[in-house]
Amino acid sequence: MCGIAGFTFPAELDGSRRAAEEAALRRMVASLQHRGPDEMTGVLADGVALGHTRLAIVDIRDGHQPMRDDRTGVTVVFNGEIFNHVELRAQLADRYPFRTRCDTEVILAAYLEWGMRCVEQFNGQFAFALHDPRDRTLHFARDRYGKRPLFYARSDGQLCFASEAKALFASGKVTPALDEASLWETLHLWAPSAGRSMFAGVQSLPPGCTATLTPDGELRISRYWDLDLSDDRVERDMTEEQALEELGALLHDAIRLRLRADVPVAAYLSGGLDSSLLCALAQEQLGGTLQTFSVGFAQERYDERAYQYEVAAAIGSEHHAVLMEDDDIGRLLPDVVEHAEAVLLRSAPAPLFKLSGLVRDHDTKVVLTGEGADEIFGGYDLFKEVKIREFWSRRPDSTMRPALFRRLYPYLAISGQAPSLIREFYGQGVDEPDALDFSHRIRWSNSGRIGRFLSSSALERMRGHDPVAAVLSCVPDPVRGWRPLARAQYLEVHTLLSEYLLSSQGDRMLMAHSVEGRFPFLDHRFAELSARLPDHFKLRGLNEKYLLKKFAAGRVPAAVLERPKYPYRAPIAEALTGPGAPGWCKELLTREAVDHVGVFDGSKVERLVAKLGKRTTTPSEADNMALVAIATTQLLADRVLMPRHLSPAVIDSVRLHAA
Amino acid sequence: MTPAEKIRGFISETFFVDDFADDDSFLRTGTIDSTGMLELISFVESEFNVQIDDDELVPENLDSVSNLVAFLARKGVSTSAA
Repeated sequence: MCGIAGFTFPAELDGSRRAAEEAALRRMVASLQHRGPDEMTGVLADGVALGHTRLAIVDIRDGHQPMRDDRTGVTVVFNGEIFNHVELRAQLADRYPFRTRCDTEVILAAYLEWGMRCVEQFNGQFAFALHDPRDRTLHFARDRYGKRPLFYARSDGQLCFASEAKALFASGKVTPALDEASLWETLHLWAPSAGRSMFAGVQSLPPGCTATLTPDGELRISRYWDLDLSDDRVERDMTEEQALEELGALLHDAIRLRLRADVPVAAYLSGGLDSSLLCALAQEQLGGTLQTFSVGFAQERYDERAYQYEVAAAIGSEHHAVLMEDDDIGRLLPDVVEHAEAVLLRSAPAPLFKLSGLVRDHDTKVVLTGEGADEIFGGYDLFKEVKIREFWSRRPDSTMRPALFRRLYPYLAISGQAPSLIREFYGQGVDEPDALDFSHRIRWSNSGRIGRFLSSSALERMRGHDPVAAVLSCVPDPVRGWRPLARAQYLEVHTLLSEYLLSSQGDRMLMAHSVEGRFPFLDHRFAELSARLPDHFKLRGLNEKYLLKKFAAGRVPAAVLERPKYPYRAPIAEALTGPGAPGWCKELLTREAVDHVGVFDGSKVERLVAKLGKRTTTPSEADNMALVAIATTQLLADRVLMPRHLSPAVIDSVRLHAA
Repeated sequence: MTPAEKIRGFISETFFVDDFADDDSFLRTGTIDSTGMLELISFVESEFNVQIDDDELVPENLDSVSNLVAFLARKGVSTSAA
């Protein structure tokens, strides 16, 4: 895994302007050093600057970038992995004179064979920029789910691109400024909608898309893949036996491809079903050499170490654990925001930041993780919520049907026999079961309540922008006709998974410590299998991930299989308020500092911090989320929107190849 | 302070909303979420020294300032300032 950066420039440049462009490329690459500390390089040729930081994993000796095909001059910079590069190489060997064993060269060969439709052949996680001097086009691509990031911005007729926004800012061509509409979207959806970024003028290439910059400066984006869960793809007569067999074969192969590397591949072990199953199967394939890594919490109610140790002992992995202490979140959050470059609603990225540090400390560069199984196989409570509400919508007057929510969320039982109150809350939109946002309406309006802490001027500016409409407008029409579970899966993948989990909790936290994550459940062949599975193999009654659990039985310890699903959460109010709060909180969460940034209302924030600091009641989810949103907005303004210092030594160590 | 003023004060201090009408549904307008309702119920019980039975936990009694005040009046709490 790696980082990429670059820009277009006028091909005919005088000496001093050229030197300035070279310096800009060096700064961009240097700002991404954490993504690829093994090698930092760049080239400026034919009006295109391409830079690369390398984390050497495949063909460590010869896989240097930018990689150029000498015959055509086609040059690529690439972040990620093409897992089926071995098979593609065999397929292309008689048409392309391969010089390396590296997957980067397979991109060149595949492009020369198929053009940009080559991405349809790739099974992988990637973002790349490819310059074709023959027709003076610059192409970009991102993998199907957006596991690897790619941002771009226009500036004075130049197009700049990079794996992280900080490289755009380091170029000196793009000025960092918060995009308030994106912030407003984040307060509802947990992240900006596809194509947007947290920063004004900075776009993100949506997952599953390629883009081509033509010689006249037009950027054409086209989608080559999307999650298709149409009702007519469901194989209603599929037997459980057949489904289990296909799942097993595919999981085996998805793991096999992701164990390909010239360095050891380890795995994250959360103690939940998905990662436990992955670790067990990977250990089988590795013949007993798997290392597993996990994070535990000093606070018992968040801690899952007992399950982690049980799995590690059962599969015989060499297990390493790191502990989140009570003051870690406050200590780590500034770095987390600097890497995530995002406003967050939860602090869960912080333990993942610490975990990737543990992996790095053990000189390990690659980990498998269980991300994606919940979306693909129906693991989330949200999906159950949809099912109950759909069932309820058929008898909207029923008082008993909404009472099912008490089975889903046991804490609701505290409110006694009050199904009519539950109705008021979960009944939002229940009379519109065909609405596209039927599944997500409650969650989105819940988190949107953070808006009450915005300053009146910010609220005024944002009010014209409708986050939900922004997301729904990107959804292709046919999706509206899908069954409720499929629609919910589609929205979940396109919002939370692609734009938040794979980014702020995924790539960015891993790359902060130069660690590459690989996600077997996000092999796109699982999406194809999911499309064919009848819904009752995903959710049976209110039993989630039915098929996957069935498959895991006997392969993971029974305790893991039977435990209730555990949302990955971290303590927050305790960490950021009260006398023990870290210095930056005391500085950035004051009324004056909040009013100075101008996004949130300083006096309301002061009241919130005082309320949470008193520790008189257990903080509500709403207050926790608001606190994280406010704290990370303040950090973003302080760390990411301010000029960042880059070490001159690091800038100088970027090697520029002669064109 | 009247019970209505006390309730308004509690809601504004606890849920950080200032802008709501006495007849607005807490749950439908998103002023209070389902767990916030528990905070409100325990506030009402301790502040006005009333016991709320399970079968009284219905929107008609609890889901707006006006409903709450009327409910408390039925429970014998005076609607004027204490």
